[in-house]
Amino acid sequence: MYCVRNVTEDLYWVGANDRRLTLFENIHPIPKGVSYNAYLLMDESTVLFDTVDWSACRQLLENLYHVLGDRPLDYLVVNHMEPDHGASVEEILLRWPDVKVISTEKSFMLMRQFGFEIDGHELIEVVEGDTYSFGKHEVMFVGAPMVHWPEAMVTFDTTNGVLFSADAFGSFIALDGKLFADEVNFDRDWIDEARRYLTNIVGKYGPHVQLLLGKAAPILDKIKYICPLHGPVWRKDLGYFIDKYDKWSRYEPEEQGVMIVYASMYGNTESAANALATRLCEKGMTNVVMYDVSNTHVSYLISESFRLSHIVLASVTYNLGIYPVMHDYLMDMKALNLQNRTFAIVENGSWACESGDLMQKFVDEELKNMTVLNERLSMSSALKGDKETELDALADAIIESMKVEK
Amino acid sequence: MLFQTTPAHEELRAKLRAFAEEEIKPIAFELDQNNEFPEEAVQKLGKLGFMGLPYPKEYGGAGLDIMSYAIAVEELARVDGGAGVILSAHVSLGSFPIFAFGTEEQKKKYLTPLARGEKIAAFGLTEPNAGSDAGGTETTAIDKGDYWLLNGGKIFITNAPRADTYVVFAVTTPDIGTRGISAFIVEKGWPGFEFGDHYDKMGIRSSTTAELIFNDVKVPKENLLGKEGQGFKIAMATLDGGRIGIAAQALGIAQGAFEHALEYSKERIQFGKPIAAQQGVSFKLADMATKLRCARMLVYSAAEMKEHHQPYGMEAAMAKLYASDISLEVCNDALQIFGGSGFLKGMEVERAYRDAKITTIYEGTNEVQRVVIAASLVGKLGKEAGGSSRSVMKKPAPVTGVRKKNIFREGDAKERVEALVAALKKDGHDFSVGIPIDTPIAQAERVVSAGKGIGSKENMALIEKVAAAAGAAIGSSRPVAETLKYVPLNRYVGMSGQKFRGNLYIACGISGAVQHLKGIKDASTIVAINKNGNAPIFKNCDYGIVGDLNEILPLLAEALDCGEKAPAPPMIKMKRPQPPKPTPIGKSYVCNGCGYEYNPEVGDEDSEIAPGTLFEKLPEDWVCPKCAEEKDQFIEA
Repeated sequence: MYCVRNVTEDLYWVGANDRRLTLFENIHPIPKGVSYNAYLLMDESTVLFDTVDWSACRQLLENLYHVLGDRPLDYLVVNHMEPDHGASVEEILLRWPDVKVISTEKSFMLMRQFGFEIDGHELIEVVEGDTYSFGKHEVMFVGAPMVHWPEAMVTFDTTNGVLFSADAFGSFIALDGKLFADEVNFDRDWIDEARRYLTNIVGKYGPHVQLLLGKAAPILDKIKYICPLHGPVWRKDLGYFIDKYDKWSRYEPEEQGVMIVYASMYGNTESAANALATRLCEKGMTNVVMYDVSNTHVSYLISESFRLSHIVLASVTYNLGIYPVMHDYLMDMKALNLQNRTFAIVENGSWACESGDLMQKFVDEELKNMTVLNERLSMSSALKGDKETELDALADAIIESMKVEK
Repeated sequence: MLFQTTPAHEELRAKLRAFAEEEIKPIAFELDQNNEFPEEAVQKLGKLGFMGLPYPKEYGGAGLDIMSYAIAVEELARVDGGAGVILSAHVSLGSFPIFAFGTEEQKKKYLTPLARGEKIAAFGLTEPNAGSDAGGTETTAIDKGDYWLLNGGKIFITNAPRADTYVVFAVTTPDIGTRGISAFIVEKGWPGFEFGDHYDKMGIRSSTTAELIFNDVKVPKENLLGKEGQGFKIAMATLDGGRIGIAAQALGIAQGAFEHALEYSKERIQFGKPIAAQQGVSFKLADMATKLRCARMLVYSAAEMKEHHQPYGMEAAMAKLYASDISLEVCNDALQIFGGSGFLKGMEVERAYRDAKITTIYEGTNEVQRVVIAASLVGKLGKEAGGSSRSVMKKPAPVTGVRKKNIFREGDAKERVEALVAALKKDGHDFSVGIPIDTPIAQAERVVSAGKGIGSKENMALIEKVAAAAGAAIGSSRPVAETLKYVPLNRYVGMSGQKFRGNLYIACGISGAVQHLKGIKDASTIVAINKNGNAPIFKNCDYGIVGDLNEILPLLAEALDCGEKAPAPPMIKMKRPQPPKPTPIGKSYVCNGCGYEYNPEVGDEDSEIAPGTLFEKLPEDWVCPKCAEEKDQFIEA
């Protein structure tokens, strides 16, 4: 059955939802699914903006035939050639051999690399600032390199203010019939998954997101709709989401708060983490979250690390090193370029405690613009009452450092 | 530059030339003979607005460009090399760092009177062991909370003691090389700031040059210039600009000598015609004029690059190197043209000949200029391998991390001990409470430790007394437990022994072997008492007293003693300061094609780009090592 929704005059959402995929990019869990958005413009020419993952191709075709009726598809604009959007390009070419494909030089290169038979079709290569008219609607193409692939561009319809933003402003979670961000409680039900999507997929490329935001700034009042390739379409309160993007891409925390990430083999380090969290709350800092690094997918840890200002690393010593999953988390933080956070360290070791020194070294040397508090809580096997003052001192130091930041 | 100065530049030149001819030329010989500063002329220069040419009007300057400033130095030096350097040291060494790195308050307070010429500025970097290599700086500034305590000295400081405002460089974090140097604004007249002798120099004798001596000078917190640890960066940026001034000075000296020689050669008749008509002399004149023009182009071009905020370090070094080298050649030829007359005192070429020599030496010898130029060309190839400079960081910090290193030197033994105890109390050590003397080291809040310097076993009684008075447990170095057997083996502190993580560690007669220091690196406060002031422990301590244990320890026990100790509450670990983070040497850039980040500190080994190469300095044909995008496809990270 076709499943389409009208976005605004002449424009239709013709994408698909995927609730069967377990791991996005075969790495990030998506328990609530994801949508692959494609948009069809019914102007004097018909224009499809991006396609969908191969698994959703049949749904796309059904949707297209339904909206096109007996009209042919005249243009295909490919903003982003990653296969979750570009995989169905070849099928479109087979079904509508006369379709003209508009994309960037690198995007065409990727199509060839993936083995799509595009040569012999009409290919229109565009660069930054090129415009194109489809009849009533005139669009402009704007490069979005490394958000988060090099070939990416965004397309702005100057006639009705629709921005086809590629992966920017996207989110995990499949669309439950609700297409627009103002039809859901975004700040309650979606923001965490939107953040997890952005920080894990595009986190490393903050400067490139900033570049794109900089390009958008002068025409901000002209943008009426943001149509991303995943998640809901934005037509109200665009500033809310743009502000989040600005913070994430500048690696500024959204909130003052403490994330305690603990690596515990037999519950002793966890117990210390519990005690610390409790102390923090007793002292008035209640924006505290705790995560067991062994049982939490690292994409959630990264997302929370982007949200909060303070991170407590609590780790046992394992093979004279950092507990491997804790090490993975640190490596991910490095890969995703997280910056400007304050860290506190809790270390445990039953005979040769090394994890604290090693974690501190990693944060100091491998990450950028991070502060590690001097107050370190060390324990041999388990935390006992005699360390109460140290525990207090650590909690105080964390709270103190928040005051300095303000 | 279209190879020509503007009419405004030439108008300014005419004004300065007139001033120099009228106010300085008549007294130049006298100034030279008497080693005398042209006080009146400098005051007039200030009133005419020439002392702050390149600085904005809002700070009392003239709002002109760097080229105008270079022309001013050139014109003064044309009649008197000393007058040229007075202006150069004032504008580009003393005032520039405040202009470029000062806060709004600092600029208002210090730059404005300098730019107006009401006060004179100087720059204090050079020390006996830190000339070309600033990493050898020994002057220290210790953070005392409300102020910085400055100790040490500077040599060969142009404009001292006449200058009122000094930009001084001192070590704020020892043992981390140039990253530990900070800059301060110091005023003449502050207690403890004195001057050594006024040097009796070969040339530029109208410019005053003296030694700076700092003895416990209290520098207010707000007089730190730039950020802590930025000193080296500030010094290098200042010297880059200063080189334009010296180049202009060298150019001016040579220009003056050349003009005198040209005039003389037209008047002096030999073999029936002016010697200028003799080919031997005329060719000399031709060479001199060519060299001058060449030097002038280099100087003005560097000035223009600086004005336009282009990277100009290499070009300024080239200008300084070339202008000063040819200044010696031109002055030599000019004197030669004068013959025996030129060899006489009172002749301008004789003075120019002596004045010119310093320009190949100061503000970076010409050898250092070649280092600067070569480094811009070939990067820092082999620097790690060769790395003999102290500027290159050999170890990140002392074994025990960043320490206060406050060594009490004032007064007699008793006063020093009292100062130590007062400092400890101020830091929050409460000596009305204490822990049992046999508390295990790892759990002890305080430990008094004995090293081999303790001498014979009876002296352990001194340690016990101090430990009791300090409310501390007893520890020792390894040899004291293992070889001398003064204390049980489980009481020695070190990497292989017990680790001390408490608040106060008093090391008595311990020299500070690395394995011992590793055992106390988590101590909040380390106190060193040793008769050898060069012992490594003093580089690893917060407080220290150099002295004999037999004299110091009894005094210490007495000063700490405050009767019966109450049992100590559970220890609260005291905070230690965060070591300062190094400032990055330049901006990182990321690739639009793949996200690769170019970090100037790392360079790009595969493309043979040496570490330390700024992105701006990468060759034009450099491409991304990961995806081969071109340089213009990079954006600021």
